[in-house]
Amino acid sequence: MQIIQEKSPHIRRKDSVASMMGDVCIALIPVIIYSLVVYKLFALRNILLSVAVMELCEFIFVLIQNRIPYDGEKHSLKENLQKGVQAYHRENFLAPLVSALIFALIMPVETSPAGIYWVSMIAGGIFGMVIGKLVFGGLGQNIFNPAAVGMVFSKLCFSSYTVTTDPFGSTDAFASSGIGDSIIASSTSLSNISMADKVVNLSNYSLLELFLGQTPGLMGEACKLVLLLSLVYLIVRHTIDWRITLSYVGAFAILMLFSGIVISVTSTGHAKAIVNPFYFMTYQLLSGGLLFGAIFMATDPVTSPITKPGRVLYGVILAICTALIRLFGSYPEGVVFSILIGNLLTPMIDYYKWSGNKWNWKKIVLTASVFIVGLLIIIWALSVQWGCSK
Amino acid sequence: MIKKTTKIHGNVHLTGSKPTLQAPVPPYIYLATANTRCPKIDIYVKPGDHVNMGQVIGMRQAAFFTQPVHSTVSGTYEGLEKHYHRSGKCVDFLKIKNDFKDTMDSSIVERTDEQVKALSHDEMTEIIKNCACVGLGGSSFPTYIKFQTKNKIKTILIDGIECEPYVSADKKIMIERTDLVLKGIEYLLWAFDCHDARICFKKKHSDLIHVFQNALGNPEYKDFNITVCTVKDFYPQGWEIAMIKSALGIDVPSGHLPSEFGVFNVNVSTVWGIYLALKFNMPVFERMVTINGEGVNAPANFNVRIGSPLKPLIDKCGGYKNPEIPKKIILGGPMMGASITTDDCILTKTVTSIIILDYHQIDATSCVRCGSCILSCPVGLQPVTIMKTMQSMPVDKAKIKALNPMKCIGCGLCSYSCTSNINVKEFVERAKIIQRLP
Repeated sequence: MQIIQEKSPHIRRKDSVASMMGDVCIALIPVIIYSLVVYKLFALRNILLSVAVMELCEFIFVLIQNRIPYDGEKHSLKENLQKGVQAYHRENFLAPLVSALIFALIMPVETSPAGIYWVSMIAGGIFGMVIGKLVFGGLGQNIFNPAAVGMVFSKLCFSSYTVTTDPFGSTDAFASSGIGDSIIASSTSLSNISMADKVVNLSNYSLLELFLGQTPGLMGEACKLVLLLSLVYLIVRHTIDWRITLSYVGAFAILMLFSGIVISVTSTGHAKAIVNPFYFMTYQLLSGGLLFGAIFMATDPVTSPITKPGRVLYGVILAICTALIRLFGSYPEGVVFSILIGNLLTPMIDYYKWSGNKWNWKKIVLTASVFIVGLLIIIWALSVQWGCSK
Repeated sequence: MIKKTTKIHGNVHLTGSKPTLQAPVPPYIYLATANTRCPKIDIYVKPGDHVNMGQVIGMRQAAFFTQPVHSTVSGTYEGLEKHYHRSGKCVDFLKIKNDFKDTMDSSIVERTDEQVKALSHDEMTEIIKNCACVGLGGSSFPTYIKFQTKNKIKTILIDGIECEPYVSADKKIMIERTDLVLKGIEYLLWAFDCHDARICFKKKHSDLIHVFQNALGNPEYKDFNITVCTVKDFYPQGWEIAMIKSALGIDVPSGHLPSEFGVFNVNVSTVWGIYLALKFNMPVFERMVTINGEGVNAPANFNVRIGSPLKPLIDKCGGYKNPEIPKKIILGGPMMGASITTDDCILTKTVTSIIILDYHQIDATSCVRCGSCILSCPVGLQPVTIMKTMQSMPVDKAKIKALNPMKCIGCGLCSYSCTSNINVKEFVERAKIIQRLP
């Protein structure tokens, strides 16, 4: 009988990266079902296209990475391929699957003309996967969230072709499945709020409509009910760290509460906006991709900090960036951008000279001061904006 | 899973409820010339000499202490032989042929309780030193050095926590030798002139708590303030600092000794060893060893003569189960124990258990920075950061020093909880070596 020596510990917890990725996929299922029900074939086309593009990128990457190293002999292509296929594991399938599903769910549903859609989806998918992940060395090495990178690339390149579809506005036209007919340009819940134009129009959609996703918007982020279901599943399965989600959403809610107060206090003259701060806060929380981003994208372990205080700080930074972009940026939505900015700051948060897993007064002061500085910037900018006579 | 590991799932039940078996005394016993703490030895006997049970046949030399080696059988000394020590090294062993008479050495004399009570603290220290009493929980730290403390001891904590999964040796000692353990605690209280002893149990060991509460109801122990203290069920509760924290609420900073805070902590098996030393002036001849794991047919607890080879014990357990599957033989618990390359191994005083597991290849995937190791680390290290630093070339020594891997207690939780199945502990161990470099 063979006796094998091994370093301790000799027993391991029963989990793996693949099971974690699988859990994220399972959590995405309700979101996918919702989008399939609402957007039907469009959603199916988006998801399949994005999955195909990203899986192909990863597969080619695995083949390139695992080719036979030069050893003086010629190897046939078949041998090289065989070696690559052997190195293709479950994680190599599941990791791009998660990225692809998220990418498909945060991309615009339709473009005009429709042909551009294919370009933006394929280009965005390749860019997100290759530049966002594979050039860094694949799973676990990337700095940015691949889905976010791809989405931002498409958004910046093809944004003039994007149209917002409203499947609830005129269901008949949408159901008739002719692509040209189904495009109904309408405004999303967030484009009704513009600080620069001093427009706060919260009456287009009720909070219930926002909660149930009966608004135009992106596929994944519309229905908050299914997102909460996914959140519960992910937290029960310990697949995401609740600290990021909680600090992101919590800090964002407080920032928006104060913004609402500032708007209602400082607005004067004909631009007088009568805003209930709590209604404003809830409206902001339920619109756009905030919950989707906080649940599925910000919590990506690879691109988020690793310590407990770092994760809370990360959530706070994301919340400030999102609030700034939403309130003052030219894009109505800022979740994806702020996640990329947060990813950029992750190595700095994790820097060994100040990172640590225990909360001490330094870390509490740091987190609190980051939050207060963000809050002050927002209050200042809002009071200047709404206080001026123009 | 991004989760703090608190419990290790193992099956103590395989052996915990079975009666303890008496292992046969082997025809030859082997005593190590070197162990992890003592690298050298002076041998006092020549091959062919007759030795008695309990006779000092050598003196192990360490950096700042010496440790006598007692023969655990009576018979003839036959010279040195190479075998594997529990640390995994192949060292010389003193080979003694057993004559099965168990003739006791003249130094072994029974003291009455009054005599024990009359002993001064220094005398007790001397007795414990001469009986080579060491930490039998696995640390093999000489007990007399702990005894020498000049600090006033206010509380004596007895570790009956049985931290590692699969192991139930301490539990069996406590159930089967309750009175001896309590007597030992009594002696300790005399030794330190202290009036507070607490026996710590995990909450889940309700049977043990019951046994001890019954025993302490005995009028014999009324005068001593021995209490049962239940602590939370998590790993590594057996780590002395975690135990002191949960039992007394005292936070002992790393680099300080518990005695500075008036705490003397000791394992139950060691209490039993101290009892033997003070009562009979006798070293530990036998110890309780758990043989467990999915690799043996009949797991059980054994009373083993120290110095017995391992192979006959495994045969006593019905041999290996499924011999076609490769096995891991672990001396100590599955979390911290060392795995050995051969079953030609000798059981020393500090082997608490032998765990035989089926070997399964573990494929590590790349780290996804889930942070489970950081959440689980009981001393607040960042194992993943240490690992990433060790993987980069050249290793940044300043960074390693700042991350301070010397704080690591080697509990193995980082590797246990790793989502990617990376053996993170191995990297931390290597980082310790780097940190020790000038």
